[in-house]
Amino acid sequence: MTNILDDYALMSPLRHRNNWLKLTIVLFGLLAGVSSTSPITPLFIALCMSFTTVALGRAPFKLYLKLLLAPVGFAITSVIIIAFFSGSGQELLSFELIGYPLSIRSDGLELALLVLSRALSGMCCLYFLALTTPMIELFAVLKASRLPESLIELSMLIYRYIFVFLDMALSIKYAQTVRLGYSNFRRSISSMGMLGSTLFIRSWEQGDKLFLAMNSRCYDGKMTLFEVHRPVRATELLLTSAYFLSTLALFYFTKNISIV
Amino acid sequence: MIILETRSLKYTYPDGTAAVQDLNIEIKRGKKVAFVGQNGSGKSTLFLLLNGTLKPAEGEVLFHGVPFKYDSKSLREIRKSVGIVFQNSDDQIFAPTVYQDVAFGPANLGYSKERVDACVQQALEQVGLSHLKDKPPHHLSGGQKKRVAIAGVMAMEPEVIILDEPLSNLDPVGADEIMDLLNEFNHFGSTIIISTHDVDLAYRWSDYVYLMSNSKLIGEGTPAEVFKEQELLKKASLRQPTTLEIYHEIERRGLAYGKNSPKTIPELVNTLKPLDLMWVDVPPRVREGDSLNLGVMYGEYATQSPYEAINATVLHIHPDGRAIVELKRKGIKAGGVLLYDTDSYSLPEVNQILKEGEIVFVGAMGKKSKTLAEQDGIRLDVTSGVIDKSILMALCGKRCLILTAGGMVDHALKRIREYVEKSGIEFTVGVANREDGCKWLEETDGSPETLKI
Repeated sequence: MTNILDDYALMSPLRHRNNWLKLTIVLFGLLAGVSSTSPITPLFIALCMSFTTVALGRAPFKLYLKLLLAPVGFAITSVIIIAFFSGSGQELLSFELIGYPLSIRSDGLELALLVLSRALSGMCCLYFLALTTPMIELFAVLKASRLPESLIELSMLIYRYIFVFLDMALSIKYAQTVRLGYSNFRRSISSMGMLGSTLFIRSWEQGDKLFLAMNSRCYDGKMTLFEVHRPVRATELLLTSAYFLSTLALFYFTKNISIV
Repeated sequence: MIILETRSLKYTYPDGTAAVQDLNIEIKRGKKVAFVGQNGSGKSTLFLLLNGTLKPAEGEVLFHGVPFKYDSKSLREIRKSVGIVFQNSDDQIFAPTVYQDVAFGPANLGYSKERVDACVQQALEQVGLSHLKDKPPHHLSGGQKKRVAIAGVMAMEPEVIILDEPLSNLDPVGADEIMDLLNEFNHFGSTIIISTHDVDLAYRWSDYVYLMSNSKLIGEGTPAEVFKEQELLKKASLRQPTTLEIYHEIERRGLAYGKNSPKTIPELVNTLKPLDLMWVDVPPRVREGDSLNLGVMYGEYATQSPYEAINATVLHIHPDGRAIVELKRKGIKAGGVLLYDTDSYSLPEVNQILKEGEIVFVGAMGKKSKTLAEQDGIRLDVTSGVIDKSILMALCGKRCLILTAGGMVDHALKRIREYVEKSGIEFTVGVANREDGCKWLEETDGSPETLKI
């Protein structure tokens, strides 16, 4: 059963590493990527993060490319618009489209490349987190960040029951499909409505059962969260600092470089 | 000693329908109790009453002779002592990981972090799921979820475990594993109560049966007593257990006889022997009622094991000097069942036993032993219903080894010895790696000896 990102994260060998270290790496990548003035640093970050996710985190390469494709598609469209419609300076390329002159100027291209690289680095950082850290590891982080206990408990229960209801919804949908519930548009609408109302009632009942189950194990209004202690290893620390240092160095040396 | 008791218990749902009426039960400590009845007969409601979740309209529930009080402190005590496993595991498992779900109960009891951890580790080890502790529940199979649910209850170390339809939605092997687990818990002193509409299961497994129908108790007793009553079963919309039905049909045709109703297949097979009569020539001075030693027989004359020492009782002497005798057979080189306690496991020792003991049939009981066998490449012939199958093989003169651990060793030993005692068919039973050892490893020559009268 590998349908959602969380499943890949659960199977990733990086799952069992220190959560705080992973969060620091991601946060550093995001900040460094966004504040960089040349596209080189963000590209370097994107490359490093992708390598870590795919090679160390064992995320399937094809899946990773597919995942990147969606946001990159959006980024490229906006980048094209930026390239054509902003900036000043030397004209690099110009042509006429249905009587309307279009041109790319050096400043515009520079800006477009920067936006693209920043978007890419941000996405790679977040995918690194999503593909190596499943939700169940993040509950401990949420708790340490002093969020209200009840909020965390609720999110834990919700996380668990998402899958129960997902299964339920899929089996209801299947039962409807085999009895031609989705054969035309009108029927699809009414079937969807029934599915929704049934799910609502079921979730209501499930709430009752949940309370029963918790009560019969002496629930006293508090769910204790057990955090697994995972010390940061020396090699991990070494690799991370090397990555941080090289990024910072790149950041410093490329701050005034323009590539166009 | 009575651990749970109800007195004229009555519960009505808010809409006025009675769920449980005038119920008097007494559950003894350390027993395996089954509540049998069709769907909607009030079993699940009764269980919620026994656990203090529902409050009866009339009557009372007593734990160790003390009536339930429904304030939160007493309820806590009761729920710690009476654990309940729901029919649908998804209703019961609510934490995001297996570990956290099992830890929920002990944590609520206010144990220290170390103690909670110890409880969880032990419970998970007992159900054989230690390797899955960091998994989210939606990655588990139905049988695994059921075992997590059981571990969640076991971690609180209850005195009574109640399971509502424990085998629903499980495949046969998964079901056997759950029943093995329950037997093990029972062996360590837990009282186990299940509800089921599977009459075969209730008949085979339980010590005591309550028959329920339409929110009332309509019969109770040992499984043999209860399932004999055809009328009662009809009233409860249930049928007879298959083993019993087959036995009755064979008995009616005069092909089987036995004093007890057979519960398992080996017991059923054992009833398939009519009076063993034979014509023999007898010496002149023999009287009716005397015993004769007919010596050792083999081949087609030995029906139960390769060699048999046969004694005969003379029933009738014909004028021409021949007599009708009833044969009493004793297997000499019969098969046997050897148990191996995997708590002190060593591969060379097992291999030696397999070789020297001429073992042809190997089984494993319990998750731990199965995993060990798998790791070390010991070929297992059977992994479910192990005791019954081993007895059947031993009856055919084969030698079996059962790998098992902990309380299961004594449980298996007890079951097999009981069988030997009841059936009168002799075969060797023993634990290989315990101090008293096992006879047949020393007895090397297979030469049959004559049975002395």
